[in-house]
Amino acid sequence: MSVPALSTDALVAGYERDLPIVRGIDFSVGIGELVVVLGPNGAGKSTLVKAIAGLVTIHSGAIRLGDRDITSAPAHEKVHQGLAFVPQTENIFTTLTVHENLLVAANILAKETRSRRISELYALFPDLAARPSLKAGQLSGGQRQMLAVARALIVAPSVLILDEPSAGLSPKVAADVFRTLKSINETGVTIILVEQNVKAALAIAHRGVILVDGKRRHEGPAATLAGDPIVAELYLGAHRAPPAVGA
Amino acid sequence: MIAQAIMDGLIAGAMIGLGAIGITLTYSILRFANFAHGELLSWGAYIALALSDGLGYLSASLMLPVGPFSFGWSLPLAAILAVALTGTLALLADALLFGRLRAKGGTIIIMVMASFGAALTLRSLLEFLFSTKPAYYSKALQIALPLGGEMRATPDQLLTLGLAAVLVIAIHLLLTRSATGRSMRAVSENQQLAGIVGIDVRRIIRIVWLLGAGLACVAGIMAGLVVQIRPHMGHDLLLPLFAAAILGGIGSVPGAMLAGLIVGLSEAIAVQVIGAEWRAAVAFVILVAVLLTRPQGLLGRAA
Repeated sequence: MSVPALSTDALVAGYERDLPIVRGIDFSVGIGELVVVLGPNGAGKSTLVKAIAGLVTIHSGAIRLGDRDITSAPAHEKVHQGLAFVPQTENIFTTLTVHENLLVAANILAKETRSRRISELYALFPDLAARPSLKAGQLSGGQRQMLAVARALIVAPSVLILDEPSAGLSPKVAADVFRTLKSINETGVTIILVEQNVKAALAIAHRGVILVDGKRRHEGPAATLAGDPIVAELYLGAHRAPPAVGA
Repeated sequence: MIAQAIMDGLIAGAMIGLGAIGITLTYSILRFANFAHGELLSWGAYIALALSDGLGYLSASLMLPVGPFSFGWSLPLAAILAVALTGTLALLADALLFGRLRAKGGTIIIMVMASFGAALTLRSLLEFLFSTKPAYYSKALQIALPLGGEMRATPDQLLTLGLAAVLVIAIHLLLTRSATGRSMRAVSENQQLAGIVGIDVRRIIRIVWLLGAGLACVAGIMAGLVVQIRPHMGHDLLLPLFAAAILGGIGSVPGAMLAGLIVGLSEAIAVQVIGAEWRAAVAFVILVAVLLTRPQGLLGRAA
């Protein structure tokens, strides 16, 4: 059996020890998979990915990136090991130019490869290539998300995690973001996507995982989940208890 | 008289500006007003004095004045070592006090109060080690050179102005053109995001302490060279330093230097126009006026 790109084992995490938000999640993503994490507000989706990225205290459990244990690694070391994270908000440096945002992220690459990698990213995001000297704070919402994704891709991560990349974007721009994520995944990058935009996210994902109250409650192929009444019920806050994991 | 006041103001402003750069860097990255920064000026000046005297003891020729200046080679050599040692002192203060408070989630007010305590401790230690008697790098008298337009300045004073200009340009280039500088600006804007783009935030904090303390040391040596060395010299400069850091705009190196010159000039002109007893009030008036009318400062970004 091949080693997953990323996995968690009984992960418990949160901002206060007595009040864990993620409560014992076992979760794994295969190499090259695009997995969407869904769930109602307060389910622990963002806390889960922040804990994986090293931004939230982990109280117990383990996180593995490939076969390496990265549970206690600080956020900046996880990037060096191939894990890139795009937060929902404040995901670019607004006082730096577009090019400086990419340069800052490229610092961890070998000097001789930085320029080439930035050129590759500009080729992937021509909208950014057109305005390298613009302060990032002056970009539109969609351009900011593209810069945040480009910034994360600079290090050629093995796993890219995004927390609600379509939040606050118009439907057209959000569709562009999803299209871009799909094409990035098709290059072999494993993607974990937290989204409230269930339909659009499931449309590009291979698999969906549903969290409720900090626990994994349901998962399945994206195409199946898209037509699953349980998904709708969970989002509509129905009272019927969801089935056990793996149902 | 006014022409000479302008020259005196520029010289004082250069020292204030260098000190303010350290304050603005530490404030923008560590997010608290470090009231112990003035003590780094004093410690820098005294460390350079002790090392310079020590070098002079080893070789008297090092104390012989270099060219038109009042000091020998012992002072520039001592200054290089003093910059490193003052930086080490700042790192020590961070490791023993500020870093521990940060790790425990210390609020801004706790950090500020801790910096008051650190300032008091460092100042008292200087008084204990060196006494409160003024000290000098050199007892040699210097004749002020005419610069035209009733302006005069000693070679030492002109050197401090030139050195301040070189250092400001160097720091500005470091922040805008180097990878470390970009990382410092990134950490200044968003520490959490800086971490997830792969920047070692703790390393950047150490660099900021070293840089801020190094500049404070240079400013202290300049003040010691053109005025005198006293344990309270940094403490007395604290209000002008903060006025300059805030007037320039927190985080802006050119802003801090420009504002340092403005504060220095304002103080010097106030002495001529309304009397020396009002000198100290000038920085306070500037500070309050900026906070009321343009809190982001001259070159800072609006919140």
